[in-house]
Amino acid sequence: MTVLLWAVGLILAGGGGVLLLRRAPRLGERLYGALLVGGGVVGLWPTLAVLRGGPTLRVTLPGSLPGGAWVFGVDPLSAWFLLAVLGVGACAGVFGLGYLAPERGHRPVAAAHALFALLLVALVGVVTAQAMVPFLAAWEVMALSAYLLIMFESEQAAVRRAGFIYIVLTHLSTLALVAMFAALSVHAEGQSFAALAAGNQTPGAVRTLGLVLALAGFGLKAGVVPLHFWLPGAHAAAPSHVSAVLSGVMLKMGIYGLLRVLSLLGAPPPWFGWTLFGLGLGSGVLGVLWALGQHDLKRLLAYHSVENIGIILLGLGVGLLGLAYGQPLVAVLGLTGALLHTLNHALFKSLLFLGAGAVLRATGTRVIDQLGGLGRALPWTALAFGVGSVAIVGLPPLNGFLSEWVIFRGLFVAGGSREVIRFAVMGAAGLGLIGALALACFAKVAGVVFLGNPRSPADASLSPGDPPPNMLAPMLVLAGVCAGIGLMPSLILGPARMVAVSIAPAIDGGAVSAEWGGAAARISAFGLGLVALVGLVLLLRRSLRQGRVAQVAATWGCAMAVPTPRMQYTASSYAAPLLAAFGPLAGIRRHREATAFHSHPVDPVQDVVVVPVWHELERVSLRLRRIQGGRVRWYILSLIFTLLSLLFYLTNSRFAP
Amino acid sequence: MTLGPLLSLLLVLAVAPVLPGIATRTRAFLTGRRGAPVLQLYRDLAKLLRKNVIYSRTTTPVFRLGPIVSLVSILVAATLLPLDGHTALFGFSGDLVAFTGLLGLGRFALVLAGLDTGSSFEGMGASREVTVSAFAEPALLLGLTVLVLATGELSLAGMLGEQLAAAWARTLPSLVLAAAALFMVALAETSRVPVDDPATHLELTMIHEVIILDHSGPELAMILYGQALKLALFGVLVVSAVVPRALLPSGMAALALLGGLVLIAAAVGVVESSMARLRLNRVPQFLVAAGALAVFAVILLLR
Repeated sequence: MTVLLWAVGLILAGGGGVLLLRRAPRLGERLYGALLVGGGVVGLWPTLAVLRGGPTLRVTLPGSLPGGAWVFGVDPLSAWFLLAVLGVGACAGVFGLGYLAPERGHRPVAAAHALFALLLVALVGVVTAQAMVPFLAAWEVMALSAYLLIMFESEQAAVRRAGFIYIVLTHLSTLALVAMFAALSVHAEGQSFAALAAGNQTPGAVRTLGLVLALAGFGLKAGVVPLHFWLPGAHAAAPSHVSAVLSGVMLKMGIYGLLRVLSLLGAPPPWFGWTLFGLGLGSGVLGVLWALGQHDLKRLLAYHSVENIGIILLGLGVGLLGLAYGQPLVAVLGLTGALLHTLNHALFKSLLFLGAGAVLRATGTRVIDQLGGLGRALPWTALAFGVGSVAIVGLPPLNGFLSEWVIFRGLFVAGGSREVIRFAVMGAAGLGLIGALALACFAKVAGVVFLGNPRSPADASLSPGDPPPNMLAPMLVLAGVCAGIGLMPSLILGPARMVAVSIAPAIDGGAVSAEWGGAAARISAFGLGLVALVGLVLLLRRSLRQGRVAQVAATWGCAMAVPTPRMQYTASSYAAPLLAAFGPLAGIRRHREATAFHSHPVDPVQDVVVVPVWHELERVSLRLRRIQGGRVRWYILSLIFTLLSLLFYLTNSRFAP
Repeated sequence: MTLGPLLSLLLVLAVAPVLPGIATRTRAFLTGRRGAPVLQLYRDLAKLLRKNVIYSRTTTPVFRLGPIVSLVSILVAATLLPLDGHTALFGFSGDLVAFTGLLGLGRFALVLAGLDTGSSFEGMGASREVTVSAFAEPALLLGLTVLVLATGELSLAGMLGEQLAAAWARTLPSLVLAAAALFMVALAETSRVPVDDPATHLELTMIHEVIILDHSGPELAMILYGQALKLALFGVLVVSAVVPRALLPSGMAALALLGGLVLIAAAVGVVESSMARLRLNRVPQFLVAAGALAVFAVILLLR
């Protein structure tokens, strides 16, 4: 644990250093980058030790702090999420150095780096806290430092609006969590998680309330439909390296929280598993569908986070249903799949956000339909983005396929057992639909942004090159890890299963380990074979050329003499038939005029439900203003009334404390 | 390990190009024409392999990789199926996900190659291809789910091989429905009527043909061969779902497979000559119907 504290110290020192040295930004940022990477590497050391089956770590902060002892610790579950926090955090932080460099003169870059370091430390705090108060404290620091980072470009109205929605909803989430901890501590003797676990082993009203509040609070943070609507705006507004951490890591704190509460409360009832399963299916399908209609690259990626949170929840639901129905193998596969997808999504989603940041820096726009042909100008960025796209779609041989494979096996492994057959059918169809829609969406993004011809003249004249090494290296590292996990799944499957078993100790780990057998090795061979075969066919193809030089000509335009870049299919027209098949669910508004056609995406939750309801509420509550008329006697009257009711309440023997 | 899986793989690889020929010939016969020779695709492939290529100025290496990745993913998918009726050359628990994933990878590669040309025609084809596959993939997975639930086996080799033979008599009605669903998916996945028409001659009405408009020479050959192989693989899926080939001696199993493939190809031709292509916005309904058939098969399993 000391090592981890050292890592936290290094990251904080980096943040402090860049602030102190803000007069010498080059030196300060170099120091910050070095300390951040150093902190990440140092912190991964104890994390990997725990995941390899080492003893769990524990430390109690000295001194007298509010809310009982401040216990921090690293058990397998914490360690799993620490991997994402430290690994993705360090990569995104380094990317941020190059990404924010052009802003140095006119925006508080040093403060943004310091806040980023603080955000990372808060994330470490959230996943290692082992008591209520330190958990909530870290949670708030995380939420607030993220808010300040989202507001980095606060001169834009869209950013301020996104920040406002974010800060309101993140506090709703905190409120639900405070209520949840209050409910769970009714039967507990103390503030630590261990005490909560000891006090809540028997099912009852309190436990049910705790589960519902946990779902609301953590679900808000994770961005589960219909609580997702704060997410696309906030993640699009933040600087890209911050978006990478928000989408890749901070959303996962919702998943972490759910898993932590479940590990404290033991196996939940079946309705909870079904709820998670249903929410997961809904978030997955709707998230990807809404992503397809987006015109803004970063908003599109943010909606994909909603989709992937859906896949994670679906796996989690399968795991919990396996627990509830006494199917240990289903439970292990579902939970392992959810955990794997959490880590995988952290990797490829942050990679994609970094890629979007590189595109934004090179071209100055996030509007997909104004981009095109960037693969020539930014070949390495295009390669990294391509790897991320294949990974997120869940195609072999990358890591996204691995987690979907595990979840699918969870769906099917119980065979014909009757309770399980329902989710096998729904899950198979749902995951199939999600996968195919994600493929459509990422073919659109990768194809429209990086391939073809530039769509706007501005874009062609910029003639950018790949970003500087401090932006490129983090992307390539993340892409390499995605490929590594996909090709060498045995490295990661074992630890993931260990974490899954640590969440649900009811599962007999030994009994299920036999089932894995050589599947991991076979997937390795399968992935490597695929890559090798592509190489082989490439060689064959070369030999068929027999020294001839390929002819080069214009694209065949079906007898159209002068094709122009403006004739290219746009992202909107590409997505139109697919979205049309889903009707109003797709959240697209179309405007047709005599010579023009516009379509713009709306969020069916935010724009159709939340905002109108909010305006109505505002109208009603404005009427209450009369109470605040400035007349002292009304204030005194209400004061006396409150005091009297309190007196009656406290003296009534039934409620006496 | 015997040579069975390897030999049957080679057999399927060798006969795959006949199948589109049979389909076309059947269609010609039923509409009163003579039609192209059954072996026409072999000649086309041989010719294309000798030719040089033309690349568009707009394209990047993605365009060149597209056909290769597409072909390789279909080849690897072939190794997951129990072509000899018993075992696959390469299979593992849960490899049905790998099968659909590989088909997805091939499609992803071709769609990107299409978008790489910057042509609006190929963009249109890409858009239609992904629209169709968005509905085909759930239906395919549901069809395979029926086989999983009927046999209790998670590898394609098991659920189409020995486990299927064991469960065959008990679950035949469900298996027939699943095979029907898989056949409908096959028509969509291999770009056949009523989803797409390989014989159409107008770019605006094409789906698959228009994505590959710019490919030429050996790369076009790879795509054409891959498409024929894909039809063969779906044929294997459908035939294996209803014929318990694991019960037959190996020679008979191979014959049953070949016979089945010929019948499937002929059935494709019959469908093509007996019905018109669906309007594009009706295609999702066709594929949802395939999914519904599969769900119905699951319900039959629960009796």
